Amino acid sequence: MIEQEIRTPAPRTGDRERRRTRMLAVGGGIFIALILLRLITGESDITSSGTMGATLALAVPIGMAALGGMWSERSGVVNIGLEGMMTFGTWGAAFASYFSGNPWLGLLGGIVAGAVGGLLHAVATVTFGVDHIVSGVALNILAPGVTRYLSDLLFTDEKGGGATQSPPLPSFPTWSVPGVGKPLGSLEKHHWILISDLAGLVRGVLTNLSPITLLGILLVPVSYYLLWHTAFGLRLRSCGENPVAAESLGVKVYRMKYSAVVISGALAGIGGVFLAMVASSNYQEGQVNGRGYIGLAAMIFGNWRPGMVAGGAGLFGYTDALQLRGGAGAVHAMLLLIGIGLLALAVWRGYRRRVVAAAVSAVVGAGVLVWFFLTDALPREIVTYSPHITTLLVLAFAAQRLRMPAADGMRYRRGGGH
Amino acid sequence: MSTTEPAVELHGITKRFPGVVANHDIDIEVAAGTVHAIVGENGAGKSTLMKILYGMQRPDEGTIKVDGVEVALHSPSDAIARGIGMVHQHFMLADNLSVLENVVLGAERLHGIGGKARRRIEEISHQYGLGVEPDRLVEQLGVGARQRVEILKVLYRGAKILILDEPTAVLVPQEVEELFGNLRDLKREGLTVIFISHKLDEVLSVADTITVIRRGTTVDTVRPGDVTARQLAELMVGSELPVPELRESTVTDVPVLTMDGVTVRDATGRAVVDDVSLTIHEGEILGIAGVEGNGQAELVEAIMGMLPLAAGVVRLGDTDLTGMATRRRREAGIGFIPEDRHRHGLLLESPLWENRILGHQTRPPNVKGGLIDRQGARNDTERIVRDYDVRTPNIDVTAASLSGGNQQKLIVGREMSGDPKLLIAAHPTRGVDVGAQSAIWDHLRHARAEGLAVLLISADLDELIGMSDTLRVILRGRLVGEADPATITPDQLGSLMTGAGEESAA
Repeated sequence: MIEQEIRTPAPRTGDRERRRTRMLAVGGGIFIALILLRLITGESDITSSGTMGATLALAVPIGMAALGGMWSERSGVVNIGLEGMMTFGTWGAAFASYFSGNPWLGLLGGIVAGAVGGLLHAVATVTFGVDHIVSGVALNILAPGVTRYLSDLLFTDEKGGGATQSPPLPSFPTWSVPGVGKPLGSLEKHHWILISDLAGLVRGVLTNLSPITLLGILLVPVSYYLLWHTAFGLRLRSCGENPVAAESLGVKVYRMKYSAVVISGALAGIGGVFLAMVASSNYQEGQVNGRGYIGLAAMIFGNWRPGMVAGGAGLFGYTDALQLRGGAGAVHAMLLLIGIGLLALAVWRGYRRRVVAAAVSAVVGAGVLVWFFLTDALPREIVTYSPHITTLLVLAFAAQRLRMPAADGMRYRRGGGH
Repeated sequence: MSTTEPAVELHGITKRFPGVVANHDIDIEVAAGTVHAIVGENGAGKSTLMKILYGMQRPDEGTIKVDGVEVALHSPSDAIARGIGMVHQHFMLADNLSVLENVVLGAERLHGIGGKARRRIEEISHQYGLGVEPDRLVEQLGVGARQRVEILKVLYRGAKILILDEPTAVLVPQEVEELFGNLRDLKREGLTVIFISHKLDEVLSVADTITVIRRGTTVDTVRPGDVTARQLAELMVGSELPVPELRESTVTDVPVLTMDGVTVRDATGRAVVDDVSLTIHEGEILGIAGVEGNGQAELVEAIMGMLPLAAGVVRLGDTDLTGMATRRRREAGIGFIPEDRHRHGLLLESPLWENRILGHQTRPPNVKGGLIDRQGARNDTERIVRDYDVRTPNIDVTAASLSGGNQQKLIVGREMSGDPKLLIAAHPTRGVDVGAQSAIWDHLRHARAEGLAVLLISADLDELIGMSDTLRVILRGRLVGEADPATITPDQLGSLMTGAGEESAA
């Protein structure tokens, strides 16, 4: 045992730096691959500013759900009720902004409504020890019912409102970084290799920003700081790893879990605000449409860490943006990337002597490539579903080296340790 | 022994739980700067006492003084504030957090959670020679290192009095030595250590003072130089240590178990039990001696029908058991005390009365008209608990919540139910305390007098020699020798077991 301790070197701060460089390298590599793909297939939407902007817009609600899930699960409470909390958020945003006429109160309304959803989940799972999945599913069933009822009650008499939607809502101002839009736009039009692509990326990310998008982006480093660099965060995470140990050291486990799940609901609520007020101009029933679940997938893909979680949300946002803007052609072009990626994976696995896994990757990769070369476009149905298919694929391939919080999803009773 | 104020004084501590008095009239004085051991059997009340001292439980009566000042401890934080720290037997660490995070958790106010805390940890680690690296993940650490992290956690909070609850239970011998080195360092730096254990050799080697607890109360406080391990054990048990011995012979000439040419092969075709023939009579205890792994386990499983026979015949009385299912064999009158009670004997997560039904699920009093008779089973479990002195609050607690000795007594009681003709006892007293050991021996003697035939397998040679009417030696699956328990010594038996001196076998 002692021998082994000497052999594994202590992870120091260098480890964190290495992780950061690796993330940058992976991000850069993907971007270059996308550029190559654009060149080969001529699908300019693959790196256009429109796609990048849409990616951000689509990634924000997923990212908020994912971040919310991360907060909750870091404290040991599985939150499958994110979908319902987002639904509360969409309605809360609509209610508060419509009746006050102020979009900022709408943001507050969405946050509060989401947090109430989180509070419900916390009461059920933490205080009453209900199974986390059962409580979450119940919340997901409850939310559409409650919002439908409240809409019926409050929106039907308003102009443009009804039982399934709210009247048009006041909108947020949009911000652009000054002096970026025009020159980058003309650069992008030239379709120069790398330069135009980068221009597209930067322009998409820096212009026509909604404050909610900015808030969402900002919440990633804020979450990281709070969870990993404050005593509060340490206590919260300890509840997800070993609540008995935490309690023995005087951590108020119930209180921590309550805070985490309520924050989780508030974050999901912000995702709902975005859907109702930024991505659309009013609340509509069914607006969340599975983003809570995709957010959970992004969280798992991100290994319960904020940077990676944001990356996962970006991935799902990107595939969604691509199918919306580029349509069948652009998604079809992705087949080439996937095929080559799988073949590369096969080579890597072969090198690591994992023969069966290598063979499976090689066969699937070859199949995808054949598909790419034999067709010109994908069936429309598959294109629409590409974000969901991506979710499936990513989870299937990424779920191997993940480390979830050790006590995640476990029922915890105070004094349970002795 | 010292002129300064004792670090901890406990006077007249009494703690009652519903139905049990866990502690009564406990009096202990722990001198500052010493290692003070508290020893007692499992269930004697050591853990409750330590929980009281650590503020996890409140005493019903009595006073606690720390450094001469009377204190009331309502919670562990009170105890920590008084400089009392506890190193739990089961580590309270989060694997996926770093050592630093584990140490500062809950004590973030002292030095924050960053660089200042890291420097403080390195300082303490250096001062007491603990060798703890703050930035490693706990999951990368071995058991000994984790324990040092636990100790550091307590020191970080400024503890001057450390309670270690059975700290050596999880350690291998070298790690125990390292721990004792650490404890001596702590003592040298002026800290007080309260060390709870039931391993007497360890206590004698590390403690300055030893207090013995028996049945919830302090019976004596001794210096290690003044007592031997055996005297200490007798203090713990409260009587002379039980001696395994049989009085007069009760062996009859009625055969109960007859094995003839029994052979069992493993998956590779090797004979793990090789042409074994033996007979056990009514009122006879036949002991099988052998170095572990020489076919004892397979022999037992062959009799129980858990392994198929490659050749040979097993008979119980006149009944041919060969090819019969295990349940039918049990119904025919075989009781079985398995060597690993957690793998074979018990459902740990089930209540005692359900465990009572196990293996007897087709027989009264557990069954009435083809259905389980709850009330019958419960009543009979009460009987076992009473007759076999199983210490438990009630029969609805899970088997896991009993101590090893009490679990074993429950199994013995169950297997003696339904008047078995043959009892297979594999290591019946392994891992149980002396009290339970002597009780189990009593039950075996009693059943033997009633005419029970017993196959006894044990690694404890004193037990084997003392409790057997006949001794057979097993080596590589074959019965290689026979010995007379009246004359053979453990040393002679030991050499027989290794195959040396076969010629001296009687």
